[in-house]
Amino acid sequence: MAELGFNAGDEVRFRLAQEEVDGIVLENPDSSVVLIKLKSGYNVGIPRDNILASRVLKKYERVVKEEKKSEVKRKKGLPVLGLVVTGGTIAAKLDAKRGGTSWLTDPGELMRFYPELFEMVDVKTIDVPFMTSSEAMTSEHWIKIAESVKKMVDDPEIKGVIVTHGTDFLHYTAAALSFFLQDLTKPVVLTYSQRSIDRASSDANLNLVCAARAALSDVAEVMLVGHANLNDEYCHAMRGSKVRKMHSSRRDAFQPINCEPIAKVWPDKIEFISEYRKSPGGKTVLDTSFTDKVALVKFYPGQDPSILDLYALKFKGVVIEVGGLGHLPPSEAKHNWVPALKKHIRQGLVICAAAQTIYGRLDPFVYSNGREIVDAGVIFLDDMLPETAMVKLGWVLGHFGWKGKVKEKMKENVSGELNERIAV
Amino acid sequence: MDYTKRVSQHTATAYSKIGLKAGLEIHQQLDTGKLFCACPGYLRSEEPHFSVIRRLHAVAGETGEVDAAVAHEAVLGRTFLYQGYNDTTCLVELDEEPPHFVNEAALDEALKIALLLNCEVYPVTQVMRKTVIDGSNTSGFQRTVLLAHDGFIETSFGKVKVDTVCLEEDAARIVSRDEKAAVYRLDRLGIPLVEIATAAVLDTPDKIKETALKLGEILRACKVKRGIGTIRQDVNISIKGHDRVEVKGFQDPAMMIETVRKEVLRQETELKQGKKEGAVRNALPSGDTEFLRPMPGKARMYPETDLPLLTIGRERLNMLKKILPKLRTEIRDELKKKGLSEEMIRLVLDGHLDEFETLIKIYSKDADLVAKMVVLWRQEFASKLKKSFEEIEGVLNERVLEQVLEALVKGEIGEGDIKGVLWKVTNGAKIEDALKIEKIDDHVIEEKIIAIVRDKPGLRAGAYMGMVIAKMPGVDKRKAMEILNRLVK
Ligand SMILES: [Zn+2]
Repeated sequence: MAELGFNAGDEVRFRLAQEEVDGIVLENPDSSVVLIKLKSGYNVGIPRDNILASRVLKKYERVVKEEKKSEVKRKKGLPVLGLVVTGGTIAAKLDAKRGGTSWLTDPGELMRFYPELFEMVDVKTIDVPFMTSSEAMTSEHWIKIAESVKKMVDDPEIKGVIVTHGTDFLHYTAAALSFFLQDLTKPVVLTYSQRSIDRASSDANLNLVCAARAALSDVAEVMLVGHANLNDEYCHAMRGSKVRKMHSSRRDAFQPINCEPIAKVWPDKIEFISEYRKSPGGKTVLDTSFTDKVALVKFYPGQDPSILDLYALKFKGVVIEVGGLGHLPPSEAKHNWVPALKKHIRQGLVICAAAQTIYGRLDPFVYSNGREIVDAGVIFLDDMLPETAMVKLGWVLGHFGWKGKVKEKMKENVSGELNERIAV
Repeated sequence: MDYTKRVSQHTATAYSKIGLKAGLEIHQQLDTGKLFCACPGYLRSEEPHFSVIRRLHAVAGETGEVDAAVAHEAVLGRTFLYQGYNDTTCLVELDEEPPHFVNEAALDEALKIALLLNCEVYPVTQVMRKTVIDGSNTSGFQRTVLLAHDGFIETSFGKVKVDTVCLEEDAARIVSRDEKAAVYRLDRLGIPLVEIATAAVLDTPDKIKETALKLGEILRACKVKRGIGTIRQDVNISIKGHDRVEVKGFQDPAMMIETVRKEVLRQETELKQGKKEGAVRNALPSGDTEFLRPMPGKARMYPETDLPLLTIGRERLNMLKKILPKLRTEIRDELKKKGLSEEMIRLVLDGHLDEFETLIKIYSKDADLVAKMVVLWRQEFASKLKKSFEEIEGVLNERVLEQVLEALVKGEIGEGDIKGVLWKVTNGAKIEDALKIEKIDDHVIEEKIIAIVRDKPGLRAGAYMGMVIAKMPGVDKRKAMEILNRLVK
């Protein structure tokens, strides 16, 4: 906006053909329209071409914020938790003065936005390893979160850790932490919000308070806590390796897959539904060996098996989302996958199969088509989620010492990612 | 002084002396689907299919402090229950899905209203979130968009400035409320509302009423909902020295004059007592007002970040200008030109205009005949048969009237036959049978009439008519009269 001589935040008088308009200039990515806030509070746009002249009435004064972040105000006598903040809707606030959003990371500000949490527990440490949306994350971000968490669980005063996170790929992080944090001694609880926190109706408040309740429990596992249904009543605590985002917008987007939730969590109580792991004592082991050279491939009818040639160029392992009980085109099909599978497995590519149906368990022995795939050397991962399978494969292949034991490790139930008994 | 006496003594000059200033704010529901989702916009009375429990929380504003009113509600720890229907409420009303792009039909209707109010439409505008504190919106805010500004309406006392025209979503409907919980129904949430605000330039109760009526007329020319609760009229009233008072809940413009008079007196009394605070007051059927709540602070307003900017192109406005509906006053003039009497115009405008306009297209020669078919004869038959107008209307529906007029155009029946045909249909005859009128050849009619006149000479035409009808019951009466007029000089 330089050529017109005003900037976002300035109060400006615009001369148009028929009238004069005063307003505060807001940020607008579309440079052909000047977005302004009128005195009435309404925002309107003025096409840049319509502006004959403009005059700044009042320059925007940036409120110089203290460079030093405010300290966490601790409340003695309350149970002690640690908090890791990483981004997402739960930590994004609107800047109504100039438009756009900014991150909510300052402890004092967090306390103002989430008073209920800070009245319930004594948040000893707030760690902000980075701020980003979940789609922008890589395995390096998972590792950083695991490192933050590890420091907190090693603190004898802290009873549990909450991690706030964007929702879209939260279940990948949940799976990664489930493998990275071995011999876990305390609850590690991931949570989120689906509705922005400027709304009085945001789901963030209940999720956070219930996350705190779960973080004070004796569950020594990585969990994801979020709305159990559309009511603002209670949440589900779900196993980190067996949870998936199943809806693009509902507040109960996260659902446990092929298992029950670990518990129902209210702000003031927790009711266990499933068996869970308690701490055996000792120390949490941080095991973040990981390779990014793994891929998740969705099979579709007509897919050319030569696609595996491309993957084999860059990757060490592939998880294929297969159809039904575990099917890919058999030898009699036009696009027979069996030779390609055999060739690449022989040449060292690890190929796993997970269920495209999301719900249910693979069983390659019901039909001959499935048996052919098993015989080719594909590792069938039973009821493991495809996303969890991909993360686990990266973790397993990241351990050079496990070479030769990849199948064994993939089939080992490391953090509850496999469930032998799916309830009705 | 006696209260009523004082009321009646306020003249226009008296009002200008005390500095009455009033503006209207009108909220009118549009008769389209909902504003931000694909649900239909109607209210339901049967048992809801589901209900959802919600809590609202205090929200830290942009400056960090919690909105006092929101905080107050949140402190109450109230639970909100939202009732919905599987087929007419969706995830959007439950705040479980982002709003869809603004309903194009509703936007068109609102823009038409803005154009009829001679407003300037903003070429680019933004949907805003207005913080709402009572739980009547599942999101905690009401979506509203400013569409147009600086218009006017013509009245008998000159132009009245229209400040703004906004398009908003209606709130959920309160079912019950107590200290702990409030129950709302989602059927109303999201119904499009047009908000019109006039400038505070009205200085007598009569002008306020006339302006309200004129605005009502303009709204009714567009696709708006009718009936109780579909329009909400607020009047901002202040006299010199007194803060603005918002009087809500006028249902009947007829009560406006009385209510404004009494409110002015109340403000005068307050000033004498050294009080001048503004407030929101409720209009009572008696013309008095009662305290509702203190004047709210300016609502916190911030952008609806889930929606792109709304661009309203020139082409769209030009297209809408071509299809702007006519106002009642314009229609009245046109009907007058077509030859309808004042009384007939009144009857036609009373809910029968659409039908009239459809039928006049089939037979444009005689507007009076069409008007009689649509209103007068149905009424007459109804009272003859002691049935309701609606019942007769059900039998003599638009399609029947169309068929009758089509037969008239084809010459199968004459104008004079129509009432008889309709009467037969009303009494259960099939329309096809009723239309089979013994067609008497014009020559035969003339011969028979000549015979009648020759038998009893010297009478007036009217007297012969009775005899003609007795002899030829199905005769086209117009034609018979024509012949008689020729024969009897
Ligand atoms: Zn809907």
